[in-house]
Amino acid sequence: MRNKNSKQSRGVFYKTIWRWHFYAGLIIAPFLVILAITGGIYLFQPQIDQYLYQEYYEVKPIGERISADQQIATVKELYPEARVMSYRPGEDESRSSEIGINLDGKSFTIFIDPYTGNELGQLDNNTRIMDKIEKIHGELMMGTIGDRIVELVTCWAIVLIMTGLYLWLPRKSQGMAGVLYPRLKMGQKIFRRDLHAVPAFWLTAGILFLIMTGLPWSGFWGTNFQNIVTNTGIGYPPSIWTGSAPASITKTKEIAEVPWAAENLDVPTSTILDYKVVSIDHLIEIAESKSIDPSYTIYIPQTKEGVYTFSAFPAKVQNEVTMHIDQYSGAVLADYRYDHYRFMGKIIAWGITLHKGTQFGIVNQIIGLLVCIGIVLTAISGFYLWLKRKPSKKLGAPIAPSASKMKGFLWMLIFIGVVFPLVGISLIIVWVVDWLIIQRIPAMKQFFNA
Amino acid sequence: MNKIQFLLIILLTCYMISACSANPNASQLYKQETPLEAEIILPDLLEPTKAVTIKVNLTQNGDAVENPQYVHLKMWKQDGTVTYGMTEASNDGNGQFSLNMDFESEGLYYIQVHASNNDSIITPTKLLIVGELSESDKQALKSNAPIIGGESGAHH
Repeated sequence: MRNKNSKQSRGVFYKTIWRWHFYAGLIIAPFLVILAITGGIYLFQPQIDQYLYQEYYEVKPIGERISADQQIATVKELYPEARVMSYRPGEDESRSSEIGINLDGKSFTIFIDPYTGNELGQLDNNTRIMDKIEKIHGELMMGTIGDRIVELVTCWAIVLIMTGLYLWLPRKSQGMAGVLYPRLKMGQKIFRRDLHAVPAFWLTAGILFLIMTGLPWSGFWGTNFQNIVTNTGIGYPPSIWTGSAPASITKTKEIAEVPWAAENLDVPTSTILDYKVVSIDHLIEIAESKSIDPSYTIYIPQTKEGVYTFSAFPAKVQNEVTMHIDQYSGAVLADYRYDHYRFMGKIIAWGITLHKGTQFGIVNQIIGLLVCIGIVLTAISGFYLWLKRKPSKKLGAPIAPSASKMKGFLWMLIFIGVVFPLVGISLIIVWVVDWLIIQRIPAMKQFFNA
Repeated sequence: MNKIQFLLIILLTCYMISACSANPNASQLYKQETPLEAEIILPDLLEPTKAVTIKVNLTQNGDAVENPQYVHLKMWKQDGTVTYGMTEASNDGNGQFSLNMDFESEGLYYIQVHASNNDSIITPTKLLIVGELSESDKQALKSNAPIIGGESGAHH
């Protein structure tokens, strides 16, 4: 008798899990497909950019290089209304220099041949193809709302994986068929189920890895998480992901009497003027003396208190650098390398380079791509599974008691809802919609099997 | 689930969301630099052919730097007609260094300090006007052009 009861309750629990897996899958699968496709493309960003912008990237190293300051002066002549934001010298001698400018609120990259001083071309940073792909991947091209949707989908994917794993768990002594490999000779229904569940299991680790390594970049959870680990001294030093850079410490005059940032002021009357900002060429000398990865970009301060920042996030995590320099004295105010990240910062940093597929080159990219393809196929096979089973006038959700009656499952949902507040909010919304609408309208109740 | 449990969960969530702003002092928990700071002090009035004493106050981590690796001064005129090579400043003690100079002619000058101590190297540059400015000096000031003949010194 007791055995029968426990079997019944197990069956009820199974159906509850199935119901949640069903709804979560139905709602977030389309978004997961978008994330997987854009992510799969973005993995190959270095190769795609190299192909698209070859004429801007490659230069013939003939003769002497023109100084960085001279290159910037050229850009200022070409774009007198622009503000110069950054300078990237190029990682090797056959690579062009990139000068980042801000023109009428838009950011452009100007490519300069450092041997001739000629402009090779310019790109509006917001219209680059890979920039668009990244914007879809990160925020569905919808700004903050899109960012939150992506984050919500990512967190819900964890629920999807957990419930999916529970449904996949072998229950009968059936061996490994339908668990580790699909059953081909047991009819179409079984085959369809295995076509979804078996590959999904094999992909679980990869998908979970992409979720957990992508979440630290998310706008809401990611920012808060990064703040917690940075504030507690176990993450990235400040200014890399969260927190601010130091200010320049040279005691400049209160009122700038030197034309600052290309303003046209009258000639000052005082005989002692203020400190002059350090030249970009000198910063390049500092970068060389400090053995900074040659792919670095120098970010130019836009205020009197600001600092020059060297920033390099090359393919391999061990070569990352963020260095802040006093804009008047050239003093190193902060020098953060990978070795200075604390253990959680190192884990996040490794996660990022693995997620982007840069850490181990082409092998890393291919593994990432396979997981992305797997996500798309799992979503499609799950959708197909539902279409085949769906009754004509119903959604076809499994009938199950409310999750509130399943204590263990309910606490798991609450735990995820607390750790990922956006999931928590969405759960409350689901609960309110169910309570106020679905349960009170018979047609809805029937459609949703509620 | 009773009301108290529900309330606790809501409170815990609110706490987690609100307790996560960036701490401005977090940098103290990570690797810190001790940058050198130099203050270049000049007399109020600068005239050609009059000797002046240029003073440099050197501090690091809030303390006066008594024995730095080096404190050198370099000076040149904006138009490139006059250049005073790298000269060692005399150590007056208590983090103060000085150099006597006289300017040969009127115009816009740059004075640059090259100093190093405990792995921190700095090269602050100050502009100064001696007498009247020429048109080219005025243009240089207005254009805010990068300094020529500047930081690259014999110390790197």
